[in-house]
Amino acid sequence: MTRRNMLTLIIILALFAFAICALIYPMFDRQQIRLGLDLVGGSHLVYQAQFPEGATGEDKTRAMDRALDTIRTRIDKYGVTEPIIQKQEGERILVQLPGFTDIEAAKRLVEQTGFLEFREVELNNGNPVYLGDYLENQNSEFFNKGEDSARIFVGEKRDDGKHYPIAFLSKDEEGNFKYIDEEGSPIDIEELRQIEEQIKAQLELGSAALLSWIPARGGDGTQLTGGFLKEARPSITTGITAEPEVAIEWNEEGGIIFDDIAERLYSRPSESQERCIGIFLDNILISHPQIIEPAYHGSGVITGNFTIEEVEHLANLLESGALPMPLQKPPLYEEMVSATLGAGFIDMSIKAGVIGIILIMLFMVIYYRLLGLLASLALIFYGTLVLALFKLIPVTLTLAGIGGFVLSIGMAVDANVLIFERMKEELRAGRTLGAAIETGFNRAWTAIRDSNITTFIVCGILYWVGSSIVAGEPVMGFALTLFIGVAVSMFTAIIVTRTLLRLFVGTRLAQRTSLFSVYSGRR
Amino acid sequence: MFDITGKRFWFFLVSGVVILIGIISLATFGLALGIEFSSGSRLMISFDEREVSQDQLRQELANLGYPNAIIQSEILPTGQGDFFIRTRELTGEEKEELKDALAAEFGHITEKGFSGVSAEVARETTHTAAIAVAVAAVGILLYITWAFRRMPSPFRYGTCAIVALLHDVLVVLGVFSILGGVLNWEINLMFITGVLAVIGYSVNNTVVIFDRIRENLTKGVSPNFEVVVNNSLVETLSRSLNTSLTTLIVVLALLLFVGASIQNFAVVLLIGIIAGTYSSLFVAPQLLVVWERGEWGRFLQWLPVAKAKSR
Repeated sequence: MTRRNMLTLIIILALFAFAICALIYPMFDRQQIRLGLDLVGGSHLVYQAQFPEGATGEDKTRAMDRALDTIRTRIDKYGVTEPIIQKQEGERILVQLPGFTDIEAAKRLVEQTGFLEFREVELNNGNPVYLGDYLENQNSEFFNKGEDSARIFVGEKRDDGKHYPIAFLSKDEEGNFKYIDEEGSPIDIEELRQIEEQIKAQLELGSAALLSWIPARGGDGTQLTGGFLKEARPSITTGITAEPEVAIEWNEEGGIIFDDIAERLYSRPSESQERCIGIFLDNILISHPQIIEPAYHGSGVITGNFTIEEVEHLANLLESGALPMPLQKPPLYEEMVSATLGAGFIDMSIKAGVIGIILIMLFMVIYYRLLGLLASLALIFYGTLVLALFKLIPVTLTLAGIGGFVLSIGMAVDANVLIFERMKEELRAGRTLGAAIETGFNRAWTAIRDSNITTFIVCGILYWVGSSIVAGEPVMGFALTLFIGVAVSMFTAIIVTRTLLRLFVGTRLAQRTSLFSVYSGRR
Repeated sequence: MFDITGKRFWFFLVSGVVILIGIISLATFGLALGIEFSSGSRLMISFDEREVSQDQLRQELANLGYPNAIIQSEILPTGQGDFFIRTRELTGEEKEELKDALAAEFGHITEKGFSGVSAEVARETTHTAAIAVAVAAVGILLYITWAFRRMPSPFRYGTCAIVALLHDVLVVLGVFSILGGVLNWEINLMFITGVLAVIGYSVNNTVVIFDRIRENLTKGVSPNFEVVVNNSLVETLSRSLNTSLTTLIVVLALLLFVGASIQNFAVVLLIGIIAGTYSSLFVAPQLLVVWERGEWGRFLQWLPVAKAKSR
């Protein structure tokens, strides 16, 4: 046994000890191997941000950053651990919520623009304007000439207590009326007339349906929106029935605007629709309470037909603010894995890995005897080192990544097989064990190197594929774990097995060729 | 010593028949594309209250307005009664309605997984996968040119290695086309990943054997090329088989214990490794011999079909 070999052995053992420690104890701030969404369960969403035409790159970047912050704030309030919210190429937003398996709730949470605005009823000589008035009106002038922005018309109240928009009326560049739907596509006038008549036939007294809602503005012409909110929190009405509501607090400017509006609306006839303030969230009229005081001094409540969850959601939404741009619905990509399924995968893949390793060891020991035993020791070292690397780098393990790791175990012994076969040939040619080891390793090295190159090429390509497509994590994980696995296997097969083998050179064991199964593999 | 090269025509016949069956299947069934490539939704559910057969589920889905839904049930004994239902892209409400309707018919269901891919993403994925396959092909070609630079006739060796590679890909595609036609298995991203991994694996097996042929040629083992190839094959046989065996062991472990979600991938590897081992032993080196001896015509005459005709 040479001194150099001893040194190598010590380094190997130290590395092994380090790898085991790294796996058992938290190290470099890492408690455990990071597991992918498919293993822990959760939701994965990819959205396309929609910008108006002509938005500059700088605007977009700023808006994207703000959108990420907004989404993060919304998600943080739900206590999701380690959510991933990232910008992706092509103005896309990736949201990964480990452990959050209610994908519909996740989508609502992210998608909702959260644009809160306050509107009032448009008046024509003191009378409320209806959709019918516009449809009959042949000229292209708004009744309220001072207000140029879009009117929203909503349908009858639905089961959830909200009024959903049926049409938006605005003017095109030539100053003509155009009716559009929520997606911005034009609505056929005849169709709209039919819808209007249907709703009108069943219109309830005092309903908000079909009214023309225009922005509610303060004295200086600023529209009151969620942007002026200081605080929003869930609360309960103080009355005979306890109804969930959202208590809001305006900032200074918002408080002034609101009081301007309240004062104006308060002067209108009481118990009339004209006195209502319409609270619109993402173009949906969630409630339209009466203004009962001329001034509110900066605070108020949003009431509606809410459940407790809904008020919590709404308060969270208002607090985190509006998204600077809408997201395309449905998402470009969505995926949900239940937590039980993910946990099952972990158990199953550990089982597969352990059984695979044991079978390979058995095979190696039976076929190569002592050499196989050493290769098995090297394999244990290999497995520990690779797992430690996964934890320290860190590699996020997905199901496909585990597949890559397990596959690399099978391929890891290839280097040993190549070397052992060479060694056996050398031993058969009558060389001593020491000489056979050295020539065997040296001659097999080129074959090992060359044969692993194709795997590296493929890993490189797959990694690129995985990183350039939506939801390519499995492919990326596979490429990464296979690459690490094969690279480490070259190290363990060559350095570790050789060092272990050299320990036997010059001992009495080296004389017993049966231990090396020199002739058993020969045909 | 085994005479492997002497039976080369039999090996070609076996490969030819397998590939022909695969091509016939490809022509009839084609390849079933997964949602990653053709967009749509894939819902994974299990029925907790009673056993539901695939036919019952298909019937119910047709009643609910999804006559084109593709159903795949987990064929492995892990996780009882999981179904994958592939439909067009569903909205959130549509999915809830579908689940409610199925629950009303078959009792309580558990949604184990769901994924939805938009047409845009599917287009991008297909595009990227196509580029990847092309880049991999170029990369492997470059590698082969490099690896065989010292061979006596590099072009010949390179061509034979590529034929072996195409052989493996055709076998995998053929088998998957049959699985697609019979069991509704789909080609997904992990399938492409598996195929690329198999290509890498198969080429490096071939390279190890060719390397030995080159070594024996320089040593001047025999003036007869056929004998040199045969000797090289026999010498490397235990390495080739052992390596494939250890890899097959782990792939089988993956297939049997992890099951459905990685099933396609494991099966690609399984078939690919078997085909790759076969082709690196019985196709690529044998082609070299055929080429060296210029006996392309003899193979055609040898074929049983040709014999029958000439009689």
